[in-house]
Amino acid sequence: MLKLAWRNIWRNKGRSIITIAATMFCVIFAVVLRSFQVGVWEHMVDDIVANNFGYLQIHQKGFWGEQSLGLSMDEATLPMDQWAEVDGVRSVVRRLESFSLVSTEQSNRGSLVLGIEPEKELPGLQLQDQIIEGQVFAPGSDQVVVSEGLAEFLKVSVGDSLMFLSQGYRGASAYGQFMVSGIAKISNPELNKQLVLMPLQTAQWMYNGMGLLTTAVVDLEPGADHKEVKAQLLPLMGEELELLEWEELFPELIQTIEADMAGGQIFITILYFIISFVLLGTVIMMVSEREREFGILVSIGMRKTKLAFVTVLENLMLTLGGAFVGMALVKPVQFYFKYNPIDLSGQMKEAIEQFDFEPKLYTTTSFIINLNHGAIVFVIGVLVSLYAVWKIMKLEPVKSMRA
Amino acid sequence: MSKPVIEIKNLEKVYEGAVPVHAVNGINLTITEGEFTALKGPSGCGKTTFLNLLGGLDKPTSGSIEIGGVDITTLSENQLIDFRLRNIGFVFQAYNLIPVLSAQENVSFIMLLQDRPKEEREARAKQLLESVGLKGKEGQRPVQLSGGQQQRVAVARALASKPQFVLADEPTANLDSTSTANLLDIMEKLNKEEGMTFVFATHDDRVIKKARRIISIEDGKVLSDE
Repeated sequence: MLKLAWRNIWRNKGRSIITIAATMFCVIFAVVLRSFQVGVWEHMVDDIVANNFGYLQIHQKGFWGEQSLGLSMDEATLPMDQWAEVDGVRSVVRRLESFSLVSTEQSNRGSLVLGIEPEKELPGLQLQDQIIEGQVFAPGSDQVVVSEGLAEFLKVSVGDSLMFLSQGYRGASAYGQFMVSGIAKISNPELNKQLVLMPLQTAQWMYNGMGLLTTAVVDLEPGADHKEVKAQLLPLMGEELELLEWEELFPELIQTIEADMAGGQIFITILYFIISFVLLGTVIMMVSEREREFGILVSIGMRKTKLAFVTVLENLMLTLGGAFVGMALVKPVQFYFKYNPIDLSGQMKEAIEQFDFEPKLYTTTSFIINLNHGAIVFVIGVLVSLYAVWKIMKLEPVKSMRA
Repeated sequence: MSKPVIEIKNLEKVYEGAVPVHAVNGINLTITEGEFTALKGPSGCGKTTFLNLLGGLDKPTSGSIEIGGVDITTLSENQLIDFRLRNIGFVFQAYNLIPVLSAQENVSFIMLLQDRPKEEREARAKQLLESVGLKGKEGQRPVQLSGGQQQRVAVARALASKPQFVLADEPTANLDSTSTANLLDIMEKLNKEEGMTFVFATHDDRVIKKARRIISIEDGKVLSDE
């Protein structure tokens, strides 16, 4: 039966090639489309989460919602060493973050102030690679690094001074004058517009919070599952602390991703409808071409179920072949654009930047996408084969042989 | 005395419509083992419909057809298909071979449907092709064979299942005189030497001359039985 199905495939090469090509291109288009969509988000999440905010953060309960220094943690009471020893944790990074009005003689802007220890930070804030002008501040110094976008807005350069005015811990005034030691390009566009980085101790001093931290970022080992690490860390949390994973830190990001994915899904669904009709067309053509032969086979004693099986087998071989070729051919494209993203320009770039997204299109190389879309197209192949099954099951040999 | 292979009683086939058409109109007939029978009659007389009913390809309006003691009019669709596979050989006017299979594969295909072992299938297909004069053509596909050769493959295929009888609908209609003579000689030889029962529907005089029993059909009725 397999031999019969295989030979039937090649009796009408044109039809078989149309089926294979349609399946292949559908898989390629769907995978490319989805890879770009997932790739852009993957890159963004990686940038925001892995490089800047971490997959897990520990705060005083309520801090993330209120962003108030009043909800800071006393470092001396935190079991930082115990947290750092948990499997999958590379280190626990200390931060003090708050807001401040940052001024020059000409202008001012509300900014996010981050007190950090660059050498212990996540990759996006280690600053060595991010500095585009000047240098990283020295620990405990009265120097700051300003993000590129904020420096442009305030029209400051290395060596200039910035005035900070804010509210410190327990209502104390927080102010200071610091020199710009460097300007950094922060990969996340939103942060790049408003971030000021200063030594942790300097931030603690300015905000009148010596020994206080607002955030302990859990830096994970490569490949560690943040949910598993969270499960291990939870018993080590005191009642006054909260351990949040990135999905809880950025629920709006998750919603945006889901909305965007749903939009893409509509486009892919339309693509699947088109391919379904193309494949159905080839099956209708095949059934019409071979109606007489089907009648003969049933006449000489072939059960309809067996005949339907051979016919479905033929169609499955074709769609499976097309799906496999498509899945394989699209792989180099995925790899290429992951490492060579498309730089958007013009109005498109401006539109994307308005949403604080990096104007670059990356792909993901996740094979799950290829498998999913290959499987969906294969299922479509199975479903359209049901037309042939239906025709065979209601076939009348005498009428079919007259066809 | 030969035993009956087919017993037909009061067979009727009516095509409903504005004016009902009695394609087969009350035929009673017995065909015995080893017969070489021709059903003759003008076009539209009902001989093909009668042959289709005999082969279980169509359902009669009334009456019965007993083959080897089984009334095939009472069988379900799948039972009928299995019955045809094991008891009836078909030779069609247009050969109707499977184009993607070789001559030998076409012959052995029917034995594959019967779940016979591969060795038996191959040996019997070769032997049957040899008996219809196609030794050396086993690997050729239908498109590589002449019309006469294709019809001989069809005869070999019809015999492959070791049927009780062979039904042939206008088997020589598309053949030239040499191919027709060859084919008839082969079928006559199989009939005489192996006792295979043949029933032809034909209006070809060359076939009718070879037949030992000639049944004339007109307006769905048996006009004469000689």
